[in-house]
Amino acid sequence: MILRSGRVLATVVAIVVGLFVLADVFVTAWGASNGLAQAINGVGYFLVSWAAIITAFALFLGFANVVSVHWSRIRTQKSGAVYSLVLLISLFGTLAFGIGGPLSANGQFIFNYILQPLEATLFALLALFIATAAFRAFRVRNMETFFFVLFALIVLLGQVPVSIYLWPEFPVIKDWILNVPTLAGVRGILLGVALGVIATGLRVLVGADRPYTD
Amino acid sequence: MTPEFLVRAAIVILVVFVAAIYIFTLRVRSGRMPLLRRIRAFDVLQGLPGRAIEAGRDLHLSLGVGSLVNETTADSLAGLAVLDYLAEQAAATGVSPTISMADPTVMLFAQNTLRAAHTGDSDRAEEAYRHIRWIAPQPAAYAAGVMNILNIDQVEANVMVGSFGDEYLLMGETAARQDMAHIGGTSNPNTLPFIYASAQETLLGEEIYAAGAYLQKRPAHLGSLAAQDLMRWLVALFVLAGIVIASVS
Repeated sequence: MILRSGRVLATVVAIVVGLFVLADVFVTAWGASNGLAQAINGVGYFLVSWAAIITAFALFLGFANVVSVHWSRIRTQKSGAVYSLVLLISLFGTLAFGIGGPLSANGQFIFNYILQPLEATLFALLALFIATAAFRAFRVRNMETFFFVLFALIVLLGQVPVSIYLWPEFPVIKDWILNVPTLAGVRGILLGVALGVIATGLRVLVGADRPYTD
Repeated sequence: MTPEFLVRAAIVILVVFVAAIYIFTLRVRSGRMPLLRRIRAFDVLQGLPGRAIEAGRDLHLSLGVGSLVNETTADSLAGLAVLDYLAEQAAATGVSPTISMADPTVMLFAQNTLRAAHTGDSDRAEEAYRHIRWIAPQPAAYAAGVMNILNIDQVEANVMVGSFGDEYLLMGETAARQDMAHIGGTSNPNTLPFIYASAQETLLGEEIYAAGAYLQKRPAHLGSLAAQDLMRWLVALFVLAGIVIASVS
């Protein structure tokens, strides 16, 4: 009974909050500035601020999850436990070294000389990974992959200046592929995605979908 | 077009959409199921928990780098719908998948989904919680963490459904090199070529939002799929009408 009441309460709160935030979006787009509009704007801003606070608390729980998972891996000597040890040392080291906050000298040092170079290095691997993914994708297995390879080759050749000497029409065909069939396909995907997003949002808004309850 | 007109139009569209979802959901509840085209990725996904148990290895589900408090919410909810199905399977078999995410709010919902699936069995719920891995909020760091899971842990199958950017390829290629079963899905058109190139089965664009309808046959999800189709036809008719009017005038 208590569990059921909890579900009902959570659903009512979710619907009311969702309607207020949606109304806030509409009132802002409308440009209304009367007393009711200001009240809705105020409540909407208040609720969105709560979401930011909850996200900050969720970050603490995420921190606890990282410590718990990796401590457990070290304790049970799972494969790769040494990486978990390095991770925990880095985690607490960063916490101690950057205690002054991200704008402190230590914090800036960590971001500029450790975090950013590491991220750049990782993303530099993308070039290699694109090459290997393309190698795998460029195998003709059926009609679909045949057209995939054909269009990819035309676009590739159309991008390089030397293709004009092979056949002057390559850049023209490349532009047509990018501006007509590709753009049409992307617009079709975006239209479907927009409808999917609206449907997902409306299901939550009317309480038909309740991912926040048991 | 004035802002007032656009707001009124948006409200009318939302009201029509809600009415359509409600009517189609009632039709599904009365036994009139809509015809669903086959999506191979969902067929394969249904066999993955059993395959992982037979192999004695893990099933990894990535919920992406999206959040539940911004424009990526719908993608994250789509990933959570897949988790809902896998959590039901885990409650029945006792073997939980490894679940990773980049946003801590998604982690809270993932925990809630597992708790709901293990209602009345707190020990199993506790065990399942240990398989949830919040990695890092930055996409690059998250990708590195997932690459670590795929390379070091004994992973039989990898499912990635949610919001992803370029970092998808780092994870997708790692899975492809390990020759594991790999399903990928996102709504971001810029990431779709990476998924197409690296995943064995793909969920492209809006297909990720159909997980609840295909995997669990939920009436509200089936109803909203039918409502989406109705709205798509209406949009297509409006586009055609616009072309005709523009051509004639």
